[in-house]
Amino acid sequence: MTIVVAYADTPPGHAAMTAAAETAIDGEQVIVVSAVRGDTPPDVASVEARWPGLTGHVEVDRADLADPSDAVVQVAQRRDARLVVLGLRHRTPVGKMIFGSTAQRILLDATCPVLAVKPPKEGPHGDVGPHSID
Amino acid sequence: MTDAAFSALASLANPSLLIMLVIGVVAGLVIGLIPGLGGTGAVAILLPVTFGMEPEQALAMLIGALAVVHTSDTVAAVLLGAPGSASASVTMLDGYAMARKGEAKRALSLAFLSSMAGGLIGAVGLTLAIPLARPLVLSFGSPELFMLTILGVSLAAVLSRGNVVKGLTAGFLGLLLGLVGTSPTTAEERFTFGSLFLGDGVSLVAVALGIFGLAEIASRVGQRRVTEQPVTLSGGWGAGIREWLTHWTHVVRGALIGIWAGILPGVGATAGTWLAYGQAVATAKDKRQFGKGDPRGIVGPESANNSVEAGDLIPTFLFGIPGGVPSAMLLGMLLTYGIQPGPAIVTEHLDLMYVIIWCFAIASVAGAFLCFLATPTLAKLTKVPFAVLGPGLLVVMLLGAYQEGGQLGDLWVMVVLGVIGFFLKATGMPRAPFLIGFVLAIPMERYYYLTTSLYDSSEWMARPGVLAFAAILVVPLLWSLVKRIRTSRAGMADDGHRNEAEIDDAAGDELEGSMTGTRWSLAVAVGAALLFAGALVISGSFSDEAQLMPRLVAGCGLVAALALLWQERLSWQADSADTGETPGPGTAPASGTTMLASQTRVHTRRDDLVVAARTFASMAAFLLLVYVAGYLAATLVFVPMFLLYTARTRPRTAIIYTLVLGIVLMSLPSLLPVDLPPGLFQ
Repeated sequence: MTIVVAYADTPPGHAAMTAAAETAIDGEQVIVVSAVRGDTPPDVASVEARWPGLTGHVEVDRADLADPSDAVVQVAQRRDARLVVLGLRHRTPVGKMIFGSTAQRILLDATCPVLAVKPPKEGPHGDVGPHSID
Repeated sequence: MTDAAFSALASLANPSLLIMLVIGVVAGLVIGLIPGLGGTGAVAILLPVTFGMEPEQALAMLIGALAVVHTSDTVAAVLLGAPGSASASVTMLDGYAMARKGEAKRALSLAFLSSMAGGLIGAVGLTLAIPLARPLVLSFGSPELFMLTILGVSLAAVLSRGNVVKGLTAGFLGLLLGLVGTSPTTAEERFTFGSLFLGDGVSLVAVALGIFGLAEIASRVGQRRVTEQPVTLSGGWGAGIREWLTHWTHVVRGALIGIWAGILPGVGATAGTWLAYGQAVATAKDKRQFGKGDPRGIVGPESANNSVEAGDLIPTFLFGIPGGVPSAMLLGMLLTYGIQPGPAIVTEHLDLMYVIIWCFAIASVAGAFLCFLATPTLAKLTKVPFAVLGPGLLVVMLLGAYQEGGQLGDLWVMVVLGVIGFFLKATGMPRAPFLIGFVLAIPMERYYYLTTSLYDSSEWMARPGVLAFAAILVVPLLWSLVKRIRTSRAGMADDGHRNEAEIDDAAGDELEGSMTGTRWSLAVAVGAALLFAGALVISGSFSDEAQLMPRLVAGCGLVAALALLWQERLSWQADSADTGETPGPGTAPASGTTMLASQTRVHTRRDDLVVAARTFASMAAFLLLVYVAGYLAATLVFVPMFLLYTARTRPRTAIIYTLVLGIVLMSLPSLLPVDLPPGLFQ
């Protein structure tokens, strides 16, 4: 089975990578897809350097579609992924109205389960575990 | 209303009308096959031929061509992977992939049938628009029409590709060029510099053919030849036809998106087609096959790019605001016949509207049918390199521009505008607002004077229609603001506007915008600012009545050009800061590759410029030859020279080509109402 990560070079995107590394069972293949328009996808070496747990079973793929959310869903469908992992960030309703949301469309369009994670909070409250709700 | 529709159908039984329609359809199909021309090229090349015809016949020919251009432009996209027009690059994604799998006929039959359906649905949309818009149009007075012209130019400036300041600058430049000539209110000469020739204003055909046609030739002559072997035409037609029926919802949806994109000024076939593709992807549950030959990726966009042309005609004929470049030229043509689009057309020329609609529908069906029949033979045309087609097109276009006024000066204007068009294209300035501004300049001024002489200033501004349009005018401003915020944060994660177009959607066109952020675009901005400043000074000498519009246009244009200059300066500074940074030893490999990439970019840019300069110089040389020896003789000298030295063809090809062209030119005046420019010694 495979896991697809919607990658962005931002805290939510890194959180998604970390979550995917934790979720992958027994060297399950993890496929990284860039979810930011116009970004060059990361290369395998730098991903492995940052998340050593993924060494040997991570690859970077790209879709034939330009829209990032469609691209993530297309790769997930083509590779018959078990799970899509994506990071969420805070966005106001007005901001969403004007800019739309890639994350929302992946959540709605994906044909497999989606794991949505948030980046760990910084500041005095410090280390907030994955189980806390805010 | 139905009476008018059927009497229009009966008038199509007139053989001369049908012949013109057939000529238009065939010409449209051939033009569609040639890469880089599209709907703009089709109207531009055929427009001059129609001078001297009755309006019905002229419209039958032009509409026939416009309706089918987007049917045949698919052939090159599917078989060659090189789109026949910018909008066909969308079909290329799935169509070319399908053709490489050996299913070229499946892809083409899907595309032809969708194009046909798109055209038919577009014609229905045009029909429905008449009764819906009629009461609205009839309630318009000159104040509303004045507001509409403003709306037309500003929407085109804001909605076209590229940034808003560039769009506005281009729009004002077009308006300024439109004001050259005799003022409609005071019969004063403006910006003519004492020349009698400029007193009539600049000819529309010269502007359209120069800004789009010649610029296109100059930018494509130097383009690398297509080296790929075309995919063989394999597979069966039948499978595609049956499959098409199962995708009818996508066909209808694509067509509706296309009509809407057509109605909005400045949103042309390319943007509408991308929208349809995005929509097809978004609504598909299974996205696996997109980009690898999914029929839905062909059906929706193909249907949309034909219906865009029908949608374009709705605001053109009902409100007098062209929705795109081809319809701007149609509008100009109607104006030369003395047919005022807008209220006049729905009251006095309703039959003409229905002739147009029937022509569009019939052409769509006939075009698809002809494509099925002739594709195996026509596909060979797509392999001809543009450099070989260039001189023939040039001769035809220049001859066309000569027909409107019969003056060689028009041809010089056209070449000069060709150079301007080339730089506008290369620096990423949208050219659609330029042409729309040019066409609307005089109507705008005329409606303004009618308004101020018929109404008090407070009275007309408070009319509900005017207020409504003023409110709509705010929309593009807000939209440009959103667009601006979005581009300034480009690349931020999660800016998910559904948009399938690549960031740089000029795929297949290497020149478009290739010189943005260089000193060339700085020079264009400086040139525009100087032009506006000069116009502002000159317009001070006109009488009060005549100076208002030029002053307003020049003043606003100056503001836009200065804003553009400021923008250029910022990007210039950012650029020089980048290159000024000396790469340290540690970063050598990374910066080495980017340096190499930017160097090759500079090289191709220089090559493009050299080729364009050579092409324009040869055009000027051709005009000098025409001046001395006449058109026919000049063609017989120029074409073989160009073919041998620029296109580097074999001598045999050059000789046969020249002979055929010469015979066509000789026989043309007896077949069509066309005059060849005589030389000094003739």
